[in-house]
Amino acid sequence: MKRTGDIDILLLLEGTYPYVKGGVSSWLHEVIRGLPHYRFGVVFMGSCAKDYAGWRYELPDNVVMVQSHFLFDPPTETPKRPRRRARGPDAAAEKAICALHENLGSGQPSLPTADELSDPASPVGQGMFLDSQSAWNYLTECYQASALAESFVDYFWTVRNLHAPLWVLGRIAAELPPARLLFSPSTGYGGLLGAMCARERNTPFVLMEHGIYTRERRIDMMNAAWIRDRRNFLQTDQSEISHLRSLWVRFFETAASQSYASANPIISLFDRARRQQVADGAEAERTRIIPNGVEIARFAGLRRPLGTPPPPVMALIGRVVPIKDIKNFIRAAAIAAQKLPTLQAWIIGPTEEDPPYAEECEDLVQSLGLQATVQFLGFRRVEEVLPLIGVNVLSSVSEGLPLSVLEGFAAGIPAVTTDVGACREMLEGSGRDDDVPGSAGGVAGLADPDGLATHIVSLLTDPQRYAEAAATAIARVEKRYDRRTMLNTFDQLFREAMG
Amino acid sequence: MAGIGFELRRLSNSRTYFGLLRAYAYAGIVSSGPWVLSIAAILMLGILSIGLVVPSTQITEFQVSVTWMIALSLIYTGGFQLIYTRYVADRLFEQRPDRVVPNLTGAMLVLLLPASVAVSVVMAVWFPGTSLAYRLLMIVGFVLLCMVWVLTVLLSGLKQFRAVLIIYMFGYGAVLLLALGLRPWGMEGLLGGFVAGQALLVVGMTGLVWKAYPPTRLIDLDFFRHQDRRLWLIPAGILFNAGVWVDKFIFWLSEDTSNQVIGVLRSSVIYDTPTFMAYLTIVPGMAVFLFRMEVDFVRAYDRYFSLVRDGGTLAAIEEQRLGMVMAARHGIRDILGTQGLTLLVLMAFSHVLLPALGISVLYSGQLAIISVGVMLQLLVMAALNILFYLDDLRETVAITAVMLMANAACSWASIALGPYYYGYGFACGMLIASVVALPLVNKRLDRLNYETFMQTR
Repeated sequence: MKRTGDIDILLLLEGTYPYVKGGVSSWLHEVIRGLPHYRFGVVFMGSCAKDYAGWRYELPDNVVMVQSHFLFDPPTETPKRPRRRARGPDAAAEKAICALHENLGSGQPSLPTADELSDPASPVGQGMFLDSQSAWNYLTECYQASALAESFVDYFWTVRNLHAPLWVLGRIAAELPPARLLFSPSTGYGGLLGAMCARERNTPFVLMEHGIYTRERRIDMMNAAWIRDRRNFLQTDQSEISHLRSLWVRFFETAASQSYASANPIISLFDRARRQQVADGAEAERTRIIPNGVEIARFAGLRRPLGTPPPPVMALIGRVVPIKDIKNFIRAAAIAAQKLPTLQAWIIGPTEEDPPYAEECEDLVQSLGLQATVQFLGFRRVEEVLPLIGVNVLSSVSEGLPLSVLEGFAAGIPAVTTDVGACREMLEGSGRDDDVPGSAGGVAGLADPDGLATHIVSLLTDPQRYAEAAATAIARVEKRYDRRTMLNTFDQLFREAMG
Repeated sequence: MAGIGFELRRLSNSRTYFGLLRAYAYAGIVSSGPWVLSIAAILMLGILSIGLVVPSTQITEFQVSVTWMIALSLIYTGGFQLIYTRYVADRLFEQRPDRVVPNLTGAMLVLLLPASVAVSVVMAVWFPGTSLAYRLLMIVGFVLLCMVWVLTVLLSGLKQFRAVLIIYMFGYGAVLLLALGLRPWGMEGLLGGFVAGQALLVVGMTGLVWKAYPPTRLIDLDFFRHQDRRLWLIPAGILFNAGVWVDKFIFWLSEDTSNQVIGVLRSSVIYDTPTFMAYLTIVPGMAVFLFRMEVDFVRAYDRYFSLVRDGGTLAAIEEQRLGMVMAARHGIRDILGTQGLTLLVLMAFSHVLLPALGISVLYSGQLAIISVGVMLQLLVMAALNILFYLDDLRETVAITAVMLMANAACSWASIALGPYYYGYGFACGMLIASVVALPLVNKRLDRLNYETFMQTR
C-alpha cells in the first residue's frame, strides 16, 4: 500500500479511527472509501498507547498518512524549564495568563500558537506552567476566586491534568504536514488541534459532531467516580456538580467554543444537535445539518410486499450496554406480551462489552417470567435478521442518529424509539424540504416502557397503521438518509471549502 | 459516540502527591544534649580527682584523651547518624520495623571495622611511651563512642528523649562511680571507668531499640541499597560536627595556644576551659529549642502536610504554614531570650562562680564571648533542623560548609590577633553561619506553598 503524496484532507481524530470500532469510526471509514478522489491524512489522538490494541480497520489506499499521538502518556522528554529568573514572580506573565483565560472564555479565537506553547520562556510555555511562580499565583487566585471549600491538592492536580495535553497538542500542531483542509469529527482535543492549526496555517477547518461532545463529557464527568468528591451525603446536591467536575466541564466547553470559533461549516446530524451547538456558542449561520445515511440497495431487497402482516417480533439491534437501556426494552416486552401473547422480543447484539450488565438483563427476564418471549440472539448479520422482524425498537437513553433504525427503514420496517438524539426527527419527520411527511413508527419518553409497548402493540395489531408507517419509512430513508446523497453532499462541501 | 472519551480516571491516580514522609532527621543536632551531660561528667571527674590522682597531669591526660575521642567520633559518625535515622524512619513508615536492628548491625559493622583498624594503627604508631591498657582503652572507647552517637541520634529521631536521658543518667552515673572507684589506678583507671560507662550506654540503648523493633534476622545490608539524593545528609552531618569542633582543633594544634599532653594529643588550657564552661550554658536554650521545635513546629508541620495530602483547603494549608513560621519565629526569639538571660546571670555571678569551680576569674571575658557563640550555634541548629524537616538537604550542606569555613577562618584570625581575641573567632564564625542560615529558612518558609506544589524535587 502506497502512502505518499500531498494530503487533501487531514482528519483530526480523538479516540476513534482507526484504533477503535464504533459509529464515528465506521462513518469515517465509509466517507474515506466513498470519496476515493481525495487523499486523506489521519492524525489519531488517544489517551495512552497501552489503551489501544492496534488498528481495527483496513485503511483504504487513499489514506496517505497516519500519525498516532497519546496525550496522557508520560512525556518522553522532560519539559524545558524556564530560566531561573523567569520562574520568579512576574506581573506581566501573570497578566498574560489571566488575559488568555478571559479571551478563551469569551468565544473569540484566542488559542496560543504552537510556537508560544513550545517556547519555555513564554507565559504559556509548559515549563512556566509547571514551575513558575506566575502560574502558581494565577492558579491560587482562581482557586480563591472560586470560593469553594474544596480540597486544594485535588484542585491543583485537576488543573495540571487538564492542561497537560495542551502542550502535546502544540507539538502535534507544529509537526503536522500541510493539507488543503482540516476535518475533525468532534470538538474536544481534536477540535482544539483543528482550531490551533486553522488559525496558524490559514487552512479551512470543517467541524462535525456526531453527538454533542461537550454534553457527553458532561455526562461522563457526572458519572466519574474518579474525580474525588469530598462532600458527604448531606452536602450532596444532585443538581449541582462539584467544582472539580465543573472544571473539566468548563475545559471541554472552552474547547468547544474555540473549535466553533475557527470552524466553518459546523456540521451536525440532526436539528436538535444543531440547536445545542448554537446554544453552546456556534454561530448559527455556520451550522449545517448533514444526516448520516445507509446503503439503500443493500436492504431494499429485504422489503416485504406492502400489506403483508408483520411477524409478531419486536427487536432491538445493538450492544447490550447500559446506555441502550436494555432493561427498558425487556419491561416494554413484558407489557406488550400481555396484550399480544404470541409476541417475540429479540435482543440482537454482542453481550461481551459489559458482562455484569448483560447478566442483570438476563436476571430481569427470569424474574419477569419472560423466558419464552425474550431471547438474546447475540451478534447477527443485519440482513439475516431484518426480514424476520416486525418492529425495530430502540430503548436507549442517549443516541445520535442511530443507523440501525435507518437500516430497518430501508428494509421497510417501522421503528419505535425513545425520544433521544435524532429519533423524533427520523420517525416523525423534520419538516424540511428534503424530507417526507408522516410517521414511520412511534416515539416514547425515556424509561417509559408503557409508551414503547403501546406503540409496539398498536403497530403489530393495526395493519393499516403498520402499512402507512412502513411506506413512510421507505420514502424517508430514500429521500433523506441515502448514503450516496450524504457522500455527494460531503464531496461538494469539501470541494467548496478547499476553494 | 462510541469509543470517544479518554480514560481520565487514571490521572487522578497518576501521581503520588508527595514522597509521603519528610523523615525526621532530628539529627546529630539533638545529640548535643547528651553531650552536655558528658562534658559535665568529665569536668566533674576532673574536679573530684584533684589531689587523689597523682600526679595531677594524669587528670589532664584523661580529660584530653576523652575530649579527642568524643570530637573525632562525632565527626566520623556525623553523616551516618543522620542518614541511618532517616533510613529507620522510612522503614517504620513502610511498617517494616523488623529491618531496623539487622541493618543497624550491618551498617555499624561496615562503619566501625575501618574505624577500629585506623584507631589501632594511630594508637600503635603515635602514642609511644603509653601503657598497653591506655591504648586498648582508647581503641575500645572510640568504637563505643561511635555506637553511642548513632544510637543516641536514632532514639532521639524516634522521639525517645526521655528514655535517652534516663539511660544517659545511668551511664554517666556509672562513669562517675566507676572512675572514682578506679582512681587508684590513675589515668588508666579514670579512662577505664569512662569506657565501661560507654559500654553500659551502648547496651542500654541497643536493648531499647531491640525491644521496640524486634529483629527477625541477625544482620542485613539493605541500608546500603536505599540511598539516593539523601546522600547529601552525609556531608551535612560531617560538616556540622566538624564546624562545631574546628575552632577547638585550631587552638589545640596551634603552637602558640596549646601544649602536648599525651602521644600526639594536644590541648589548649586557655581555650578549653572557657569553651567547655560555655557549652554548659546551652542547657536552658536547648530546652526551649526542643520544646518549640518538637511541639509547636512539628505540630504545624504535621498538620500542614496532612492537609496538603488529604485535601485541605488552601486557606487551611496557609494557616498551618503560618503556624510553622510562628513556631520558628518564637523559637528564635526564645533562644535569644533565654540564652541572653543565662548570659546575664553568668556575667553577674562569674566572679563567684568561677573561683568556686577552681577557675581563674580572668576567663570570664572569654567565657562570655564563647557563650554568645554557643547561643548563635543554637540558632544555626534551629535553622538546620527546620531545613531537615523540609527536606532541603542541599541547603543544609551549604550552611554547614559555611559554618565550618567561617569558624575555621575566624578562629585562625583570632589566634593571629592575640589572646584578647580568643573566643571571638568562634562567635564570629557562628554569627556568619546564622546570618546565612536564617534568611534561607525565612525564604523557604515564605515560598513553602509554592515550592511544595510546584517544585516537586
